[in-house]
Amino acid sequence: MRPRTLPRLLTGLALTLLLTATAGSCGTIDNSAGGTGEQRDRTDSGPAAPGTLRILASSELADMAPVLEEAREATGVTVRATYAGTLDAVERIASGRAEKEYDAVWLSSNDYLRLRPDTAGRITNETPVMTSPVALGVRPEAVARLGWDPKKVTWSQLHQAVAAGRLTYGMTDPKRSNSGFSALVSVASGLSGAQSALQDRDVAKATPKLREFFTGQKLTSGSSGWLATAYGRRTDIDALVNYESVLLSTPGALTVIRPSDGVVTADYPLTLLTASSADAKESARRLTTYLRTPQAQRRITETTLRRPVVAGVDPSPRLDRDLRRELPFPGSRSVADGLLDAYDNTLRRPSRTVYVLDTSGSMGGERLTRLKEAITELTEDFRDREEVTLMPFGTTVKSGEVRTYTVDPKDPARARDAIRADAARLTASGGTAIYTSLTEAYRSLGAAPRDTFTSVVLMTDGENTDGMDGAGFDAFFRALPAEQRHTPVFPILFGDSDRVELEHIADLTGGRLFGAEGSLKGAFEEIRGYQ
Amino acid sequence: MGFREHSARVRRILGIVLAVLLLGGVAAVLVAGGDKDKGTATKTVRGVIGSEKSEFFTDPDVVKALAAKGLTVSTETSGSWDMEQLPLKGYDFAFPSSKGPADELRAKAADKAVATPLRPFYSPLVVVAHSNAARVLAGNGLATLGARGTSGILRMDAYLAAVRADRSWQQLKGADKHAELSGTLFITSTDPVASNSGALYLAAASYVADGGRVADGKEAVGRTAPLLRKLTQVQGAQQTGSDAPFRDFVSGVGNPLVLVYESQVASQLLAGRPMGDLVVLYPDTTVNSDHTLVPLTEGGKELGRLLSEDPELRRLAVRHGFRPQGAAPEFTEATNPYGEYLNQTLTGVRQAPVPTGAVLRDMARRARDQGGTA
Repeated sequence: MRPRTLPRLLTGLALTLLLTATAGSCGTIDNSAGGTGEQRDRTDSGPAAPGTLRILASSELADMAPVLEEAREATGVTVRATYAGTLDAVERIASGRAEKEYDAVWLSSNDYLRLRPDTAGRITNETPVMTSPVALGVRPEAVARLGWDPKKVTWSQLHQAVAAGRLTYGMTDPKRSNSGFSALVSVASGLSGAQSALQDRDVAKATPKLREFFTGQKLTSGSSGWLATAYGRRTDIDALVNYESVLLSTPGALTVIRPSDGVVTADYPLTLLTASSADAKESARRLTTYLRTPQAQRRITETTLRRPVVAGVDPSPRLDRDLRRELPFPGSRSVADGLLDAYDNTLRRPSRTVYVLDTSGSMGGERLTRLKEAITELTEDFRDREEVTLMPFGTTVKSGEVRTYTVDPKDPARARDAIRADAARLTASGGTAIYTSLTEAYRSLGAAPRDTFTSVVLMTDGENTDGMDGAGFDAFFRALPAEQRHTPVFPILFGDSDRVELEHIADLTGGRLFGAEGSLKGAFEEIRGYQ
Repeated sequence: MGFREHSARVRRILGIVLAVLLLGGVAAVLVAGGDKDKGTATKTVRGVIGSEKSEFFTDPDVVKALAAKGLTVSTETSGSWDMEQLPLKGYDFAFPSSKGPADELRAKAADKAVATPLRPFYSPLVVVAHSNAARVLAGNGLATLGARGTSGILRMDAYLAAVRADRSWQQLKGADKHAELSGTLFITSTDPVASNSGALYLAAASYVADGGRVADGKEAVGRTAPLLRKLTQVQGAQQTGSDAPFRDFVSGVGNPLVLVYESQVASQLLAGRPMGDLVVLYPDTTVNSDHTLVPLTEGGKELGRLLSEDPELRRLAVRHGFRPQGAAPEFTEATNPYGEYLNQTLTGVRQAPVPTGAVLRDMARRARDQGGTA
């Protein structure tokens, strides 16, 4: 390795010069061009160094790190990955933002992307690298209890088990994550008996069964990583919906069920953004050529438990080789979006959310304005049937201002308008009673428990100054009935709030900390995927 | 205009001169680093190609053969029918997979004289099937299989009749033994609006469905539109290139019947890759994909000429499964060991003529459109 470094560095420099020369421009020569080590560690999205490929990737691809490191050794191409959910990535591509920061995208599937006409000219060179079907990972004891042969379970059996109260599961939000969306397409196909690509009428026909099926969904998540963590905390949930590769890598030996009447499979196409530079395109070509070699394909299937796409390379022995019917992905955006809307507003269990909002004195001025704007914008995201409580606090909860609304499917504007009006009336005063206010949130939810995705969002711009302290809250939380301990708090790091304090609250309650460095609106919006 | 071209040429010459000067250094470094030498100076030509030719252009031997003739080729892939939408500035050639898009690209080209299309090689469309599926098709009169059961003929009229009747796998004798064979019977193809193989599939189907007539306008398109829409809509989302569905097939996921170019299969066989339970079905009426290179610059033209005439490049095209134009003993000879999969002489396979680009586009659009798209 060592003795080759200098020649390699010089080659790199010379090739850079060569490229510059043949491109016909006499730009300045970057002397650091050969020092790829420096660029490799950078994680921000600055301009790409030669031989660096900036990729916007699905979060589960973090497991490709060892393969990509070998790819770097073999090809000299360094991958700088930024992880995002599918929907987020699609929005960034469609809006043209992605091409300003990345050279390529690597999502689990481009199916949804392709339904968006505004992405058409922006992508090129789609190269599938590996495949993994969306499946159910079920605890072995649940499989035994249900008396199932994992090779023969159908979607209707899964539905019947859920309807009988014998199976519960966690699944990512189909609006944000491809695994959730694929599962939604699979189960809608399976339960409607659709023989070919889903149509609106199939979804309508299957609605009663789908609603029953989704009563079993006890966990939702904006990302598959957090889903696995949340699942790890719960012993009362039987199964997880995710990619086969993720399920097999989840601790706790899940039995993978690929329903025998069909699955939707991700094929991970490494895809160039049309606007990327010629250098980046060349890097991508070298990388994909390498990833398609039998050697790399063997490493991929061994390391990540995805299926190879090159003939003659056998899948890892841990992967079952029985064939499955591939359920077609909807061919039109109207069907796909119709399915997502139905999921959000009709099929899934409703959300129930308490927004615990710091309106202490320090929030005065610009901060309060940002909070009001963020809530106003957020109201469009509230789902039909959702119960929303705004709970502003200062030295204590400002009980006179606490209001609860339910979004009525027949008149969703009413609750949204009322919440906007309430937000506009918020004023900043008093101290910061974080923990006391959280206990109030739990009390108000506990007074009338219901079958919902229940969560608390905590927005604060400072440290706790009044009321109960952290230790007190720990004790309060641990004394809650088991059912209530399943309600997570999603704290937002904003202004001068204390990261350690908020992280502890998230860990304790099974929530997740969100940063508002970018924007408060963005943080609220991201949390929607977890509610 | 003239001035800009002139200055571009001057810059290119300057670039080449600089490159030559630098190459000395690079070659020295490469030798010192123990890597293989680069040989003569080359001219870089950039082009956009159909995805199925990507592996040909990245083959080190192809790179070497081209370099020996003074060319370095850099490529990007795109659906053949999408190429027209790409900004072609800066490219030296476009290499779609059939004549239709090539004609349109030529019409768009700045220099029509340079842009005379060349057809270095071709490949017929075939259907790859997993053996369970192929045997069930054969058992129900939709296909005939050769002695070894690894290749055969797909009876297009019988297949289209089954599609018209919304036949599902469950309704076919023998399918019940295989859990994966359920749902509507269909062949997976690519998006006909974006990709060549998908469009050619419709061309073949419409030719058969319309009693052996080539669609020549609106009325003819209208006659087969309902059937073509069915062939397309049952598939749901379609890929934009023929590589992806073939990879799914190889991976053991996806539909059991996938339309691909013969070259995609042949190249795997020629590389000595074991093909598992693959069966290659040749539709009794199919369409040849004429890989057509549209030069946009002199460099692109030179590439087209080399691919058509250079014996080494013709031999390498065969390695990637393509059939070189004209008498091609190279192909027959190379594929002799794989006769059990490939129909070398295309016996029992009829070529359907392809409608004009405009008609094919109309056909594709009508097949793909459904109220509420987008």
